[in-house]
Amino acid sequence: MLVLVTAGVFALIHLTPGDPIDVMMAESVDDSVKANLRRELGLDQPIYVQYAAWMGRLLRGDLGRSIRNGEPVIENVSRRIRPSVQLAALAMAVSLLVATPLGILSAARRNTSVDRVGTTFALFGICMPNFLLALLLIFCFGVKLRWLPISGYLDPLEDGWPGLRSLVLPALTLGLALAAVVTRTLRSSMLEALGEDYVRTARAKGLSEWRVIRGHVLKNALIPVVTVLGLQLGTLIGGAVITEYVFALPGVGRLVVDAVFARDYPLVQGVVLLIAIGFILSNLAVDLLYGWIDPRIRYR
Amino acid sequence: MRRSAPDASLDRREFLHLCALATGALAPGIAVSSASAQTPKKGGTLRVGFYLEASTMDPHLSGSKVDRQIYHNIYEPLLTLDVKLGIKPGLAESWQQLEPKILILKLRKGVKFQDGTDFNAEVVRFNFNRMKTEPKSVRKGEVASIESVDVVDPYTVKLNLRRPDAALLATLTDRAGMMVSPKVIQERGAELERNAKGAGTGPFEFVEWIKDDHLLIKRNESYWNKHGGPYLDRVRYRPIPDDTVKLQSLQAGEIDVIDYVQPRDVAAVRADKNLVELDVPSLAAFAYQLNQTRPPFNVKALRQAVAYAIDLDQIVKGVWLNVGVPANGPVPPTSWAYDKSIPAIKRDLAKAKAKLAEGGKPSGFPFTITTANIPINVQEAEVIQAQLAEVGIQAKIKLVDAATQLSDGNSKNFDMISYQWSGRPDPDGNTYQFFKTTPGTSLNWSGISNPQIDALLDKTREVSNQAERKKLYSELTKLLQEELPMIYIVHPIEPKAFSPKVQGYEPIPDGMMRFKEVWLK
Repeated sequence: MLVLVTAGVFALIHLTPGDPIDVMMAESVDDSVKANLRRELGLDQPIYVQYAAWMGRLLRGDLGRSIRNGEPVIENVSRRIRPSVQLAALAMAVSLLVATPLGILSAARRNTSVDRVGTTFALFGICMPNFLLALLLIFCFGVKLRWLPISGYLDPLEDGWPGLRSLVLPALTLGLALAAVVTRTLRSSMLEALGEDYVRTARAKGLSEWRVIRGHVLKNALIPVVTVLGLQLGTLIGGAVITEYVFALPGVGRLVVDAVFARDYPLVQGVVLLIAIGFILSNLAVDLLYGWIDPRIRYR
Repeated sequence: MRRSAPDASLDRREFLHLCALATGALAPGIAVSSASAQTPKKGGTLRVGFYLEASTMDPHLSGSKVDRQIYHNIYEPLLTLDVKLGIKPGLAESWQQLEPKILILKLRKGVKFQDGTDFNAEVVRFNFNRMKTEPKSVRKGEVASIESVDVVDPYTVKLNLRRPDAALLATLTDRAGMMVSPKVIQERGAELERNAKGAGTGPFEFVEWIKDDHLLIKRNESYWNKHGGPYLDRVRYRPIPDDTVKLQSLQAGEIDVIDYVQPRDVAAVRADKNLVELDVPSLAAFAYQLNQTRPPFNVKALRQAVAYAIDLDQIVKGVWLNVGVPANGPVPPTSWAYDKSIPAIKRDLAKAKAKLAEGGKPSGFPFTITTANIPINVQEAEVIQAQLAEVGIQAKIKLVDAATQLSDGNSKNFDMISYQWSGRPDPDGNTYQFFKTTPGTSLNWSGISNPQIDALLDKTREVSNQAERKKLYSELTKLLQEELPMIYIVHPIEPKAFSPKVQGYEPIPDGMMRFKEVWLK
């Protein structure tokens, strides 16, 4: 699987028009300088030779060096991974805080005004483009109310409260959109579970509605929600490009997009490989969670 | 003979008037510099928002405009520019051109690098040699006319030129003239790219660069020039890639200066009483290159048909929102070489149709416009597409990213491609590399090879008298309007925006933000 990913990315980025040396030396017209650099970086070799060389280094645990800044790919990524992971975790927290009560209430009070609020929120959250929500949040909380910083990043683990404040707006932007998806998923899977026989049995036993929902419905409705969250976690870490761009956050998403624009081959290949590994791991975690949530699908 | 500052064809009043005309009102931003009549005070941190991050701290390896913005505060060039683009002394206090191929520079005494080492003639020789021999040097082309550098005495150097080069002085006002401490280069090597501590002689010294977050410089307490600033304690640069967010950060008081206001935002910034907007006319020329090496634009009449079908006034008004002026050629109105008697090519549909017939395509022809996928470029290409359609020319728009644009241009894989050149103080930088017949890679993407143009370009380098050079550039501009290797659209203005507490900023049309005299109220 990973080999396929590496080969695909390698082929795609090398087949894209554009040349890293041209980008780096756009103002230089000295052909010999460019040719020397190309030779030094091995870019004058046929593509399969370059791929073999890259795979060889990869097997020794070396992801190579960025063409643009000359630093090891792993250093570039390690500098960027922290904001991305923190943002993903906060966004996930925002989405759960919003979506759990909203999803449960929407399902439990189906076709009431609570449900309508929940579904309208979900509709807005899914329809509204990320950048628009980001700009609206910036305008309200940054420019008008001046409660929160607009752009830039401080590490919450080092700077504490100011660091957390710097992540609030981006986390809301990502979290609210995710909350919309989770609300809808939770609502529909809860509605499905509410129609099951075991729910009727639980009610017949005289359990309170809250206990029915907590003990029987919610647990059974969680599988699709966990699937959605698991898939989104990977996207949040590697793919929050627009949010990172708007809030000037130095995350992995921006790193890979900048690298694509600069045709920084080793950096693109390295980061995509790491993101792919992240996806595989988060899917694995989801699979393991299934077993914990629902003993019927426990692996033997 | 000692050369004094060139006699610019526009004085400051005209220059500002030009901005005012272009933007429809006298820019309130001028208050930024006039307010400096108050007594400047020391202290404070200036927070600057740029659209992207610096790429390297080594001026000899740099190919990015943002880098230059920072360098002009920590390094100093041998010569500098004034607001009229006149050449002023920098680290060289005077210069003499004894004969066309010899340039003598008398260096300033008592200047020290921030690492404590002396600036002298040996340093100059070391720097030029590095620019010429360092394998990754991006400056090789700019100093190509320098054959060798002789140290005459500790504070005098003689530049022996390969050929007369009238543009060299202007070249030495930017990165090719910036002097880096040899000690830093020898001791730190490649690390200089990330850490410029002690490397310059400028009014500010490098403190730290936290990649993707900020770059910090502080006042150089032992700066040689004791007149005026530096006043600021620190300058903190931050990359904010989104233009809207960058402006909102300024409005919210998170930053104090932004390097560029998008034309679409200029009106709003002017209307905001809490901001000061300043129109800085630039040296830039935004244009399209027409590929002469293949059909359809290997036929001159068809290039002319396109030029006559385009309405520059409408584009500048509708797309650029008058944040710029229609271009008559490569030389911008800020330059001493600008000839205002030459009008920009006017739209003339009858002429366009006649040229189509002359080119053998009376009912029009299809071709592709390649341009960057940036909103204003896309809008411009769409307007051109609509204007050309009126004479039956069917333009297709191909949107590409910067890397593809470069590769398409270098490999001449285009019909008509946008080219946005930030400009150079000497008109040579806006012309020679675009139109001179050159084998291999150059910015001559159009593939033009015209003996008359080649001869004119060479002559502009040989002649040192500015009035004569100006005549040559006028002749060249007319010839380019006839041959049309490029269709020039606009000379944009570079609007900058400040918090009202920023004082003393002097706008120089090269767009660089020098903070030596800047202070905070």
